[in-house]
Amino acid sequence: MLVCFRLSFVFFLLTAALSSCTDVIPIDLPTAESELAVEGTVTDQPGPYTVLLTRTSGYFNDQPSPAVRGAQVIITDNEGAADTLRETEPGRYQTHRLRGKIGNTYLLTVRTEGEEYRAATEIKRVPPIDRLEQQHKVKEAGWKDGYYVLYNGPELPGVGDYYRFKLYQNDTLRNKPDELIVRDDALYDGKYISNVELTDRPFRVGDKVRVEALSLPQDYYYFLNEMFTQINNVGLFSSPPSNVRTNVLNRNASGPKAVGYFAGTAVQSATITIQP
Amino acid sequence: MKTRIKSALSLSLATSLLLAAQPALSQTGGAVGTGTPAAGNATLSGYLLDATTGTPLVGASVFVRALRTGVNTDEKGFYSLPLPLGQHVVTYQVLGYASRNEQINLTSNLTRSPRLAAQNLQTQEVLVTGSRAEDHVKKTEMSVNQLDMKTVKLMPALLGEVDVVRSIQLLPGVATVGEGATGFNVRGGGIDQNLVLMDEMPVYNVSHLFGLFSAFNPDAVQDMKLYKGGIPAQYGGRLSSLLDVRLRDGHQAEQVKVNGGIGLISSRLAVEAPLIKDRTSVVVAGRRSYGDLLLKLVPEQRDNQAYFYDLSLKVNHRISARDQLQLTGYRGRDAFNFANVFKNNWGNMGGTARWRHEFSPRLLGNFSGVVAQYDYELGVPSGTQAFNWSSKIRNYTGKADFTYLLNDRNTLSAGASGTRYQFEPATVKPLSAESIFGGLKVDEQQAGEYAAYLENEQTISPRLQAQYGLRVSVFDFLSSGTPILEYAGTLGQHLEPVNPRTYRNGEVVKRYANLEPRASVRYTLTETSSLKASYNRTAQYIHLVSNTTAASPLDVWTPSTNNIRPERADQVALGYFRNLGGEAYEASVEVFGKTMDNQIDYVNGANVLLNKNMEGELLYGRGRAYGAEFFVKKNQGPLTGWVSYTLSRSERQINGINADRWYPNKYDKTHNLSVVGLYTLSPRLSVSSNFSYSTGVTTTFPNARFVYEGLVVPVVSGDARNNYRIPAYHRLDLGATLKNRPNPNRRWQGEWVFSIYNVYARRNAYGIYFRQNEDDARKTEAVRLSVFGSALPSVSYNFNF
Repeated sequence: MLVCFRLSFVFFLLTAALSSCTDVIPIDLPTAESELAVEGTVTDQPGPYTVLLTRTSGYFNDQPSPAVRGAQVIITDNEGAADTLRETEPGRYQTHRLRGKIGNTYLLTVRTEGEEYRAATEIKRVPPIDRLEQQHKVKEAGWKDGYYVLYNGPELPGVGDYYRFKLYQNDTLRNKPDELIVRDDALYDGKYISNVELTDRPFRVGDKVRVEALSLPQDYYYFLNEMFTQINNVGLFSSPPSNVRTNVLNRNASGPKAVGYFAGTAVQSATITIQP
Repeated sequence: MKTRIKSALSLSLATSLLLAAQPALSQTGGAVGTGTPAAGNATLSGYLLDATTGTPLVGASVFVRALRTGVNTDEKGFYSLPLPLGQHVVTYQVLGYASRNEQINLTSNLTRSPRLAAQNLQTQEVLVTGSRAEDHVKKTEMSVNQLDMKTVKLMPALLGEVDVVRSIQLLPGVATVGEGATGFNVRGGGIDQNLVLMDEMPVYNVSHLFGLFSAFNPDAVQDMKLYKGGIPAQYGGRLSSLLDVRLRDGHQAEQVKVNGGIGLISSRLAVEAPLIKDRTSVVVAGRRSYGDLLLKLVPEQRDNQAYFYDLSLKVNHRISARDQLQLTGYRGRDAFNFANVFKNNWGNMGGTARWRHEFSPRLLGNFSGVVAQYDYELGVPSGTQAFNWSSKIRNYTGKADFTYLLNDRNTLSAGASGTRYQFEPATVKPLSAESIFGGLKVDEQQAGEYAAYLENEQTISPRLQAQYGLRVSVFDFLSSGTPILEYAGTLGQHLEPVNPRTYRNGEVVKRYANLEPRASVRYTLTETSSLKASYNRTAQYIHLVSNTTAASPLDVWTPSTNNIRPERADQVALGYFRNLGGEAYEASVEVFGKTMDNQIDYVNGANVLLNKNMEGELLYGRGRAYGAEFFVKKNQGPLTGWVSYTLSRSERQINGINADRWYPNKYDKTHNLSVVGLYTLSPRLSVSSNFSYSTGVTTTFPNARFVYEGLVVPVVSGDARNNYRIPAYHRLDLGATLKNRPNPNRRWQGEWVFSIYNVYARRNAYGIYFRQNEDDARKTEAVRLSVFGSALPSVSYNFNF
């Protein structure tokens, strides 16, 4: 699972070795027309599920994104259930009673400012995490000294499963741009994943570490993978900056576009507390 | 010394004027000679060689002054001169050598291979041209730059590593996407559009260390020639250029000669030796970097390795006066090993066997067999994540080329070639039973490429000379027995495979054919100036799939398939060529225009590695490039060098990118200036400098953002591509070469080479990137990346004995 990390590691090491340097510089960018941004999930865990509606802002704007208030937000599933979401905070909409299930499909409808947007998704299967183990690495080549959490669990037979792994350290998601871990199973199909480090940043004694394995629909995997590329896109081997995909479509094809994603995931998790 | 050069020059100038005037005279009354005219003609032919080393003398004049007729020796030092039967005085002459007159009595075809003595070592070293300056004006070929390794070695080098590819980037019409990026871009073409041949062996990756150094060992290279247009019909398979790198011949040396050097990055050693006197010689050259040997001194780094090496072998064997055999072998490799955690290595290898046969003084044949390969491997050697990922492209080529001197006005070239390609895009294998990896194999592919050509170089009138020909190329995408797919979906997004079909292994899945006309004309305006024009069509059947700013060693070549169509280009160029100050200066202005079809680009977020459906990530469109190139080169005197300036534009239009509108290529540079100066202060000391300036390359800037699960995602409005430029690039390098005090009693000759790269320590931007601030997740910032942020001094020591 570390293939990608290790590769970038080599390239970065090389550029570092050759006295390369980065520095922050001022750039003037024109402001773009603002678009609707959607962040929403339905999981196989008990709700409520949340849909966040904001608007895009200037790239260097460091204020919170402007909330989209008073929108009509509905999630329906393929069993005929419909849930109109309630705005609990500006731009934050929550379900009442909808319950996500593996195998079901979900449709999000957002009506705001005279436009109607729709996004469809599904919840895919996820394998269990058998157990987490800890490993203390000291002076191991290529690794920082410290405690690592090792993942143990099966991968489900059949190519076409996609995962995201989330690591929580003392209930806080590790959420640096390069900690967005998404994988497909092309290389690991049906294999037992044993004793694999999920990150190259170590933990400390006493840390409570929770690992979540999330199943992703294929298109959502592409979204997160493209997002990973775009938010870690520095260096000799970067690719051209481009927009990540979205599944939020304006019903009026010539109307304003939206960004973001409404995704269904199934979640498995396991917890370990690092012992000395 | 100076007078000697001058006299040699004036001699040569006189010869050239004489020869240039020849056709005019023969038209207005025929030749009047001291020779006894007799009925019929015969041919005088042979080789011209250096008296001590046996090196072929390229571009030497062989002429009969009385008849005002003559020819130049070719790249093998071979000449063939049709003459009337009878007695003649033949003059053999080349700059830097004592000329020689020979009395001959021509009764039938005659072979003469005289050896000329070098006049003076100093004289030779001042001369930096591989070909005579008058060729610049007289030859039909245009859009061609030739660099002698002697010149390249005198130029300031990055960290002391003399670099073929970097020196090419200082020529007009040649650009790079960034400092340290592999390859080079010729007249708006991609790096995979250059046919790089090392003794006829294609080199798929021209770099070591990701692009910082070139794959060519400077001690092994004799010279190189870059064709940016007017590409002879003999060559094909790439769209934009031909870089012909010739390795040293071994000189048919009379004694063992050793060249070597010790530098900061690598050390080199080359040995030339006669195996059989006057018949067989061998050159072995090797180079290895040793950064990792230093790493071993650091305890934590002891198990890490990072190095590159290359090794070349060339054997030259004269079978008979009419047959010559040449064998070349090459292997280069880069390796990075981080203890037992990660291993990665890549490189080119291959070889060429060439047989040159003189059927008659008028008909020459060259027969070659070539094999070339690029491959890489990476993986984790042990543990639960043990795997090995490998990829390879290999070709086998056979070709035959003939040159026929039809008469004194027409020289015909014809030939044919066949190539078999094997592609192994990616194979991943687990290396241990407990490995979490299964296997993955992107289907192997195979293809055949065949070509035949006919070309004529014709002197139409005293002023007008033309070279015109036709190349026919055919490409067969062959089945490997695995399913052949088509792709369907929304334009601009990943496409999904549909409609799988099976063919027998080896069956032709798709055949492409192209007619590639080539033509160049030269019209002489005055003795020192000419106009040239050329047109050529080129077709390219294999493509490097690379979605990153700089190509990485992991990028994979793909054949044209049922989905990927061959790339095609049409180029027109027009030029004015002029020599100034006798032949001290060559100057030229060229304008070119080029259109390209079936150019490849990638959908947003394309994943081209380890992807069985890689073809579903590709987009196709058009390209165009146009520009003007200004070039002045000083060949003589203590100060030599050149100024090159290119004003150009290179764009593409791909449906699915930039809202289907034209956008500049990532290596588009409006202005590109290089100034190279080499100054010989004394027989022992010479200094050099390079200055480069170019417009910043294009890049895409986002202009909006949204936050997704706490991460800031950039938005590029309107799906724009390459809508900004990074700041201009400029850099000054200085170098100096100090030779040891000359001592005629000692064979050992040594020299110190000093250089400073990026003298004024400019932080040239390689790229500008956008990212979330590391400490404050809400903040975003623009980051400038420079490959070199400081001046880089170096010293190296070279020796020969």
